[in-house]
Amino acid sequence: MKKPTKTVKHSPPKPSPPKTALTTKRAVDPAKVRIRQLSTGVPGLDDILGGGVPEFSLNVVAGAPGCGKTTLVHQIAFANATPEKPALYFTVLGEPVLKMMRYQQQFSFFDESKIGNIVRFINLSDVALEKDLAAVLEEIIAQVTAANAGIVVLDSFRTLARKAISDVGDVEVQSFLHRLAQFLTSWQATTFLIGEYVEDEIRDNALFTMVDGIIWLSQITERNSVVRKLQIMKLRGQATVPGLHTVRITEHGLQAFSRTLGLMGDKPKPATRQRLSIGIPELDKMLGGGILEGDSVLVAGPSGTGKSALATQFIAEGLRQGERGIMAIFEERPEGYAQRADSFGLDLKSAEKTGALELLYMRPLDLSVDETMQAILDAIKRVGAKRLVIDSLVGFEMALAPGFRTDFRESLYRMIGGLTGAGITILSTVEVEDNFTSLQFSHYAISFLTDDIVRLRYVEIDGQLRKTMVVIKMRGGNHSKDIREYVITAKGVVVIHPRRTDYAELSTGIPHRTGPRKAQENEAAPEPKADK
Amino acid sequence: MNGASPQIRNIAQRLIEYEAQGKAVSETTGSATFEVTDRLRPLLATLMGRGGFRALLARALAMASAEVSWLREVRVGADGTLEGLATLHASLKPAEFREGRVVLLAHLLGLLVAFIGPALTMRLMSEIWPQLAADRVDLADGDKK
Repeated sequence: MKKPTKTVKHSPPKPSPPKTALTTKRAVDPAKVRIRQLSTGVPGLDDILGGGVPEFSLNVVAGAPGCGKTTLVHQIAFANATPEKPALYFTVLGEPVLKMMRYQQQFSFFDESKIGNIVRFINLSDVALEKDLAAVLEEIIAQVTAANAGIVVLDSFRTLARKAISDVGDVEVQSFLHRLAQFLTSWQATTFLIGEYVEDEIRDNALFTMVDGIIWLSQITERNSVVRKLQIMKLRGQATVPGLHTVRITEHGLQAFSRTLGLMGDKPKPATRQRLSIGIPELDKMLGGGILEGDSVLVAGPSGTGKSALATQFIAEGLRQGERGIMAIFEERPEGYAQRADSFGLDLKSAEKTGALELLYMRPLDLSVDETMQAILDAIKRVGAKRLVIDSLVGFEMALAPGFRTDFRESLYRMIGGLTGAGITILSTVEVEDNFTSLQFSHYAISFLTDDIVRLRYVEIDGQLRKTMVVIKMRGGNHSKDIREYVITAKGVVVIHPRRTDYAELSTGIPHRTGPRKAQENEAAPEPKADK
Repeated sequence: MNGASPQIRNIAQRLIEYEAQGKAVSETTGSATFEVTDRLRPLLATLMGRGGFRALLARALAMASAEVSWLREVRVGADGTLEGLATLHASLKPAEFREGRVVLLAHLLGLLVAFIGPALTMRLMSEIWPQLAADRVDLADGDKK
């Protein structure tokens, strides 16, 4: 045991703990063991696992057929196997290896140059069918010892266990599992047991008590959409992200989308934030000098009130100021969007070419909210964006698979919170109906997501349907309370009038005149359609 | 790819020649056993199980028998060996016997290529015959040497 360290001269005396045998020992305790974590090779999964799979752990990868269990474990095997510590993939009474190889090689992670030496497939079906569990264990021990395996996979453990239970009983299977775990841990192998389990089995199956980790994969069907989910039900020694996370299987294998979108650890908003111009000078004034950097702004209004135009001006102004941007658009194609911006004299195409702007067009109807948001987050990182437009929240929700729509607000809350926390300024648009009796912000009740709300609406004045805007809310400071009239011209949204004092109840959309009527020219009558 | 292409037949012939090299067998008649499948058997049985290997070899034999009639007399044993070759070897002309082995092996390789693709088949075969990789044999495009 090391002697206690001598007190350094001139340092203030520290309060000494009560002298007991325990505290004396603790003062010289060696450092705790550091558990190395293996990267899974599955994008997003390491974050969910709290860093990766603990080295030398025994894990179950469970779920119904077709959930991606085999693919997940293949990814882990290919990502971690080395010539010195290869991966041994034992197959038992499951999918024939030729078929497994046939399908798995379609994924980009499958490197055939690793097959045979770095990733090895060993079929235990003959041993399992002709002999007993002891022989299976003996074969595994012989193969792992000979190969010095670092990763061991048993696929399907459930099938093996089921056969063994019918042959020799439950206790024998537990004994096998105990000896297998003991050997593989001692041999410093990280192990994955694959099984087609259902959730109810967790309570009564000793397997789930013995293992260190349980990765549960599932498919959830809602109406016509199927969504894959992943849950870390158990992982000893480290904190995982709880809950169900979306999984997608592409040509690159599995990709996981954490519920927290990896945004939990982002830096807080800076104490002093600059004001950003929205690109409409009069609106900047109404906002007290502009939007506070890192704010989330909601522009709400009915169809045709210029929400997209305003959003484009916000991005274009950012580009003029050297701030890169992302426009996530859900209702309109990027070409049309860029063309309309052109008509306002806002050149989005050039910014796209230089990489200062990216227009993300997302309309597939089976998107998960997490992967959509991940696409936005990836684009923000890729471009280095400081401004983000989401046009519109209604379109965003419609692009999601029905099963995700219930999670929409919660996920949006996480994303907006995370992004604004990292200093990204977000402008979202939302379509609301004017009911001409009250001023509605949004039927989504998502105003809690936003720092600032700008409401656009139609107002009937002097026999015309005109447009007004008002700043409803500004969390970071004072703002104008004026209701201002605006028009959409070749320059985009332009605020034209100071607040009107000659009308009352403008916010209802049907104001009544309180001041004298001004002389004005009548607009020309419309051309008769059928007049030849 | 299904069945045996000329490229695969060429490689099958070469594998048979590799196995014959350095062995005290007549160059004209060849061995009465089938060393190539005997060497493939442990590797493929490890991957697929003995039953899996037996099934694959039986399928290759059935396809090859359509081309070479004497192969119909051959059986796949329980352990995955080919039974009946010794008897047939004595009764057939050397060229006939050699051709039958080439066709059978070509079909076996062809099945592997059909299931797991040329790259992975080549990878597995290179474990037994490393000179295949050195000779730059390509199962997809034939021999580039």
